Amino acid sequence: MPVIETRQLTKYYGKARGIVDVSLQVEEGEIFGFIGPNGAGKTTTIRLLLGLIFPTRGEARIFGKDAIKDGPEIRRHIGYLPSEVFYYEGMKVIDLLKYAASFYPGDHTKRLHELAEYMELDLHRKIEDLSYGNRKKVGIVQGLLHRPKLVFLDEPTLGLDPLMQRKFFDLIREENARGVTVFFSSHILGEVQRLCQRVGIIKEGQLIEVSDIRTLQQNNYKRIYVAAREIPSGYFDRPGVTNLEAVNGGVRFFYKGDIDAIVARISALDLIDVTIEEPTLEEIFMHYYE
Amino acid sequence: MNIYLRELRANLKSLIIWSVIIILLVVIAVTKFAAYADNPEMLAILDAYPKALLDALNMHAFNLTTLNGFLGVMFLYYALMGAIAAGLWGSGALAREERNKTIEFALALPITRTRFLTAKALAALTLSALFVLITWMTTLVAIQSYQPDESVYAFLAREMMAMFAIEVIFLAIGLLVASVSKRPKRTGAMVTGVILTLYYVSMIAGLHEKLDFLKYLSPFKYFDAAKLLHEGRVDPVYWALTAGIVVCSLVGAYWAFHRRDIFV
Repeated sequence: MPVIETRQLTKYYGKARGIVDVSLQVEEGEIFGFIGPNGAGKTTTIRLLLGLIFPTRGEARIFGKDAIKDGPEIRRHIGYLPSEVFYYEGMKVIDLLKYAASFYPGDHTKRLHELAEYMELDLHRKIEDLSYGNRKKVGIVQGLLHRPKLVFLDEPTLGLDPLMQRKFFDLIREENARGVTVFFSSHILGEVQRLCQRVGIIKEGQLIEVSDIRTLQQNNYKRIYVAAREIPSGYFDRPGVTNLEAVNGGVRFFYKGDIDAIVARISALDLIDVTIEEPTLEEIFMHYYE
Repeated sequence: MNIYLRELRANLKSLIIWSVIIILLVVIAVTKFAAYADNPEMLAILDAYPKALLDALNMHAFNLTTLNGFLGVMFLYYALMGAIAAGLWGSGALAREERNKTIEFALALPITRTRFLTAKALAALTLSALFVLITWMTTLVAIQSYQPDESVYAFLAREMMAMFAIEVIFLAIGLLVASVSKRPKRTGAMVTGVILTLYYVSMIAGLHEKLDFLKYLSPFKYFDAAKLLHEGRVDPVYWALTAGIVVCSLVGAYWAFHRRDIFV
């Protein structure tokens, strides 16, 4: 049974498009990357799954239960780190975290302190005195202190310095190793690439691709660089070759198609140097957004 | 319980401010009353005022040289202040969380919207009750030096009950407005606007026979101090209207809040 399952999930804000017909499945124990530029519908999707907003049509199920009807019960096992965290300004961090913890059955004091120590969070300051990055840390602790089974991360690294980002990623990997499912929304592909096993790409409210991150890199494009004593002009004008450009003594291009054919073509040249690489997610992504 | 306590704490400052205002108001009023108390000359001066003005301010019905008359006039202010305070507590319960963008955090917790709204409403109700008690105490203390008799205590008790009823009405309306309104920043102003409009309606209602129907429109007219003094009770029609407004507002508020999209 998938942890998250949506069918034709659609949200319009009046006439404005939120998301349209998003159908996806996230399996238990995976880290699912959800990528797309700002305004593509990432946050809308998460809010629908959390029951903060209501679908125009379609349905969402989490842990096999209806995301709206069984929302309160589902949310006991959900951790949510929004892209921007807002808490009651006048409260101390520790009071806020205890307040949040009080809504989840069980005692979470120990975990709360563990996480705070790990994230180097000062528990005795007031929320209003915290910097953006420190608020984010409060968000991380709050999102994880009740040991949720499913975690939503919406642009989680925004505001965290690189050191903290790394600690945070380690923390997420640790949680994931314990079986926690992670829904990771981001427009920064590098971090998705580092962390996720599968990705969904959302564009203008529509899910245009869901695939294994390896498959996405392997089955798609190769980035090829060829340097040779002589490359006749038009030598690489063949189907599957795109973005051909000349660079210091050679050519660089993307290739999609029969790898044997292109290698044969390359080897017929009097070669100096060759590299065949997988493209970065960034490059794949740009392709989807062309 | 946590939501309720948090809401109380968040509004503590506002309750203190309202209390200070009411205390100042009562102190100033009692000081002025000193000039009226048992002073028949004042009655003559008042009689010289235009009748319409006295009607609008509902001063006609009272003998301003007595404590009951004093309390009757004070009720205009008590009712208005109670209405605005309760209206803002009711609407602020939701609007404040939306303005400060904390509502996303609050509703991502494993709670139902019913529980959230109920806790908030009960907190606002508690504040309203406390505000009445503070008003009651302050007034009692202020009038002590004029030797109030039983009838004064009884009249004040009826006024306080009426003030609470008015608070409940506008608290419910405030919740409704906040649940329906798409603009949390304007909610407080909208609620205050509604209250002031109804307050003026209640003043106009007494001016002319043709405007008499307006008395059903404004909750301030339901609990008329003159009637509280002379008849000692509120017409059942008005109780029914009060219950109707409160129930409809609450049903509407819960209905709308359960369908409300939460953005921050």
